[in-house]
Amino acid sequence: MQFLRVIWDTLRLQMKNSFVRPMFRFCLIINPVANTILIYEMFRNSGHDNFGTFVILGAGLMALWGCICFSSAGDINRERWSGTLSMIYTAPAGFQVIILGKILGNTLLSLLTLLISFVTARVLYGAFFYLPSPFLTLFSLFCAVVCFIVFSTLIAYLLTLSRKTTLYMNLIEIPIVLLCGFVIPISFLPPWIHPLSYILPPTWAVRLLRLSIQQTGNAEFFATLAILTLITALYGAASLLLYKVIDKQIRKSATLEVF
Amino acid sequence: MLRRFSHQAWLNFKGANAAFSFEEFTLLRLLYPLVTLTFYVLLAAYSFNAENLTHWVVGNSFLLCVNVSLFTLGQGFDSERIDGRLRSIIVAPENKLVAVLQKAAFPMLVSVITVFAGFIVSSLIFSVPFYEINLWLFMVVVIVSMFAASGLGLLLAALSLMTDSMHLILNTMNYVLMIFCGANFPIAQMPAWAGVLSQALPLTRGIEAANMLFTQNNPAAFAGLIFGEFVIGAIFFLLAFLAIKYAERTAIRRASLELF
Repeated sequence: MQFLRVIWDTLRLQMKNSFVRPMFRFCLIINPVANTILIYEMFRNSGHDNFGTFVILGAGLMALWGCICFSSAGDINRERWSGTLSMIYTAPAGFQVIILGKILGNTLLSLLTLLISFVTARVLYGAFFYLPSPFLTLFSLFCAVVCFIVFSTLIAYLLTLSRKTTLYMNLIEIPIVLLCGFVIPISFLPPWIHPLSYILPPTWAVRLLRLSIQQTGNAEFFATLAILTLITALYGAASLLLYKVIDKQIRKSATLEVF
Repeated sequence: MLRRFSHQAWLNFKGANAAFSFEEFTLLRLLYPLVTLTFYVLLAAYSFNAENLTHWVVGNSFLLCVNVSLFTLGQGFDSERIDGRLRSIIVAPENKLVAVLQKAAFPMLVSVITVFAGFIVSSLIFSVPFYEINLWLFMVVVIVSMFAASGLGLLLAALSLMTDSMHLILNTMNYVLMIFCGANFPIAQMPAWAGVLSQALPLTRGIEAANMLFTQNNPAAFAGLIFGEFVIGAIFFLLAFLAIKYAERTAIRRASLELF
């Protein structure tokens, strides 16, 4: 019960803190609008089937990833700058629980980008978001959210090791969008890049979402779901392991608050 | 006078980049722009189902300048405030236009190099016949366009004397350029007001002129575009100068020059 309360309180506080930052507001509101306009204009004469849905999903996911990059990934560093890192690190509630609550708050708030992307495409272009199986899409979205949470937790821990978080936050945004097939199918990329795409969990989350819309066979959908579950579990385990390593190193060298 | 100008310009540039190691500078200024360019060109290849990617390579090469012209330059005065140097700049008995130009000199140079190098490298990646055009003329287009883009960057930098939302403003302007400069899709497919906005922005004419080098031989139209781009740049520099003067007065009246 206390675990859920910590998660809930952290989540609410994080949503409020994130929303007051101008950069997060950009990622949450302006980014999906601008992405939708840009990508829709590029695709409007493409002749692709159901391209409106493709654009809305692609632009929304790009913006969602942008929110994660410029918030979840840098949250530990932000706590360091605010001078509160040592407090949440040693809090009896547990550092990992607090980080989970923060990332959960950011990711749930960031889901608004999908809605904003849809509203933009609908209002400006009269585009439709056709879902052959809404339940399957909602389930895929849930899986994608879990995947993004686990993935951003690992990135947040990795960036704890660096003192140049802002630089790396900027550097990972577009490469992940490109490698994970947010708007360009991986099959369109050169074959030597494919292995790199396949080891990234968002690739499978995006693929699952697309499959839920494309009405392909169940076999492909469940195979993708199985891979996504496995790879997300592996990344989750890696996060736990990394946390233990970082925790040991921080306590040994006393560098938690060193800039 | 010229020596002091170049010395100050170099110090400004060095100060903005001193925090980065060589590897980080390379990552941020070379590799990341190249990955971004590759992403948008690939997106164009996929969405337009195009084989000849010249138009997008040219357009997105020009957009590479935003990293320096927009983001570095746009945060120029903001970082002066953080470093505690803003007061000295404002009260110094020096023309503020000179201070503005000092800030723009090296970023403009880096932008020219980034755009030119980005164009050559991406041309090699996407098989664009860059060797068939007059590269000297291309260089002229790049220089004039970077002058115009730096003017916009400085105008935005002046805004940082009045607002604390520079990340939001600069990132929004980045998208405005990406959407309305004609780099990624024809502006003609958008409403008429978008065409008007497009003409008021830097890079629009530069991108059109650079594309002209590949498609047609029309010296008069080419010169007209270059001249237009230069005028847009000059207007932005003038606006930046006026905005700084206005911000300076407002800040002194409200005693908010160094407020965050």
